Amino acid sequence: MIDMESKYGIPTVAVHVHVFARLVDSTARTNGMPRARQAFVPAPMFNQPPAVLRGYIEGDDAVHGGPFMRRVFDLLTEPIPGEDLRGSGWERSTPRLIEPDTEDNLERLFRENHWTDYLPIVLPTEERVEAMLAGTSRGPDEVVGKHRPTIGMELWESTVEKAAVNAVMAGAAPEHFPVILALCASGDTGRQSSMSSMGNMVVVNGPIRNEIGMNSGIGALGPYNHANSAIGRAFGLASQNLQGGSVPGISYGGSQGCNLSYNCCTFAENEERSPFRPFHVHRGYEPEESTVTVFYVWGSVWSEHLRSYWQEKLQAMMSGLEPLEGALLVLDPIVAREFCDRGLDSQEKIAEWVFENVRIPARRYWDHIMLNMVHEQVEAGVEPWASLSKADPDELIPLFQTFGVNVVVTGGETNGHFSIFQGAQMPPAFRSDPTLPLTAPIDPWR
Amino acid sequence: MATAVGQKLTVLNPEGYPPEVDARGMAPALETLQGKRVFLVDVGFENSDQFIRQLHGWFEEHEPGIRTEVVRMRDQHQPDPELYGRIAAEGDAAIMGVGT
Repeated sequence: MIDMESKYGIPTVAVHVHVFARLVDSTARTNGMPRARQAFVPAPMFNQPPAVLRGYIEGDDAVHGGPFMRRVFDLLTEPIPGEDLRGSGWERSTPRLIEPDTEDNLERLFRENHWTDYLPIVLPTEERVEAMLAGTSRGPDEVVGKHRPTIGMELWESTVEKAAVNAVMAGAAPEHFPVILALCASGDTGRQSSMSSMGNMVVVNGPIRNEIGMNSGIGALGPYNHANSAIGRAFGLASQNLQGGSVPGISYGGSQGCNLSYNCCTFAENEERSPFRPFHVHRGYEPEESTVTVFYVWGSVWSEHLRSYWQEKLQAMMSGLEPLEGALLVLDPIVAREFCDRGLDSQEKIAEWVFENVRIPARRYWDHIMLNMVHEQVEAGVEPWASLSKADPDELIPLFQTFGVNVVVTGGETNGHFSIFQGAQMPPAFRSDPTLPLTAPIDPWR
Repeated sequence: MATAVGQKLTVLNPEGYPPEVDARGMAPALETLQGKRVFLVDVGFENSDQFIRQLHGWFEEHEPGIRTEVVRMRDQHQPDPELYGRIAAEGDAAIMGVGT
């Protein structure tokens, strides 16, 4: 609506649900239109019958009070002050240093400014940041990337030094820094703002895994390794601070939040024990290259071993997932070998099995978010969406396309366990730079 | 690095660099909506279509002197210049929703 007003000269009221009032206000200010015309209805909006929606319209503005429709009329017809016709622009900067203070006061300041994850941090003194910078050959002022909490929000920029500050805060070591820089340059965020509360899963491949002592064995996904823990925490802290925040109600809208966000569930693939090609080789890299891949995940379902009824079990585990977001199978090496024993001896074959065998009725597939998210592709005749949209409501159609199914192998083979996470990589259009590869190289950041 | 009680430390700011904020002017208000054409824009989030449909019904019932037309944005996450251009050419005001 900012464009509608400023570029096209059309007075426009944007209607939002009330829980995003502070986010809307912040977005209007950073778009140079601090008093943009906004009106608010109550939440929730999703899954509400028409009578409830009509009640919202005939009720009061959920933020400002008074009849909602009267506010809409007033916004469109009351004269606008000259300053608002001109808009409000200004330059912003971030100081390099913070006013010197005691350790306790600085810890408090960092918490109050929402710069932490509310656990203790290592204060980023000049000495510590300089030591972190020794972990890369890149200069402190080099630009690393652009960052934002979600599509549509403004892009902030970062430098190598800024990434180092956050790496220090997370308790990372200099040898971890190239992985952290690769993450900061990836176009992904460890603090994605989505009402759905997605978290992350970060997978490291290649020689750097062993060079810095990452865990891909027993407890790989847990808090049992310095590199796994600190790299993931650094990605999260860097994301929130380099992108301009991750503050509930302002720059974060996840209804429930996600516990995976504490260290972005960072681990190494167990390439040595996996029967499959390493994930990064599957993505076109050479085995001797090191990479990092960021997935966006929600919950998971867990099981063990592929028993005699494995096909029925997998279908049951997966068929309750949401169609659009994809599936990430995280397999212990024992289970990966069991897939091989059943003829599914590659990531591609597992994805093809899922495509062929995990199906749901079209009416469920096209319910709510799926149709919203690919509406444009359906209208434009883009496949497979165009054909799938023509399916009869009760026709069983593939829950996921093969590109939506990913497989990584990690774990210490204490038993044959595996988890299936709802999640995938962020589509290019939603990343801060849609031209960046979905699996990011680490070596340029050494 | 142990610090003595009360010793002051100098630390670095962890925030990235925000872009400059460009001033964006609002469109002038209308004197009245009567006789005007107002586009009701479904932005594409779930139930936005139903909300906009109800809004359209409200205008037809309560404000028949205001002409309304329902349109939908092509992509809920991206600006739609083609639609905006049409609204600017054919309309006087717009109501967009629902941002969630």
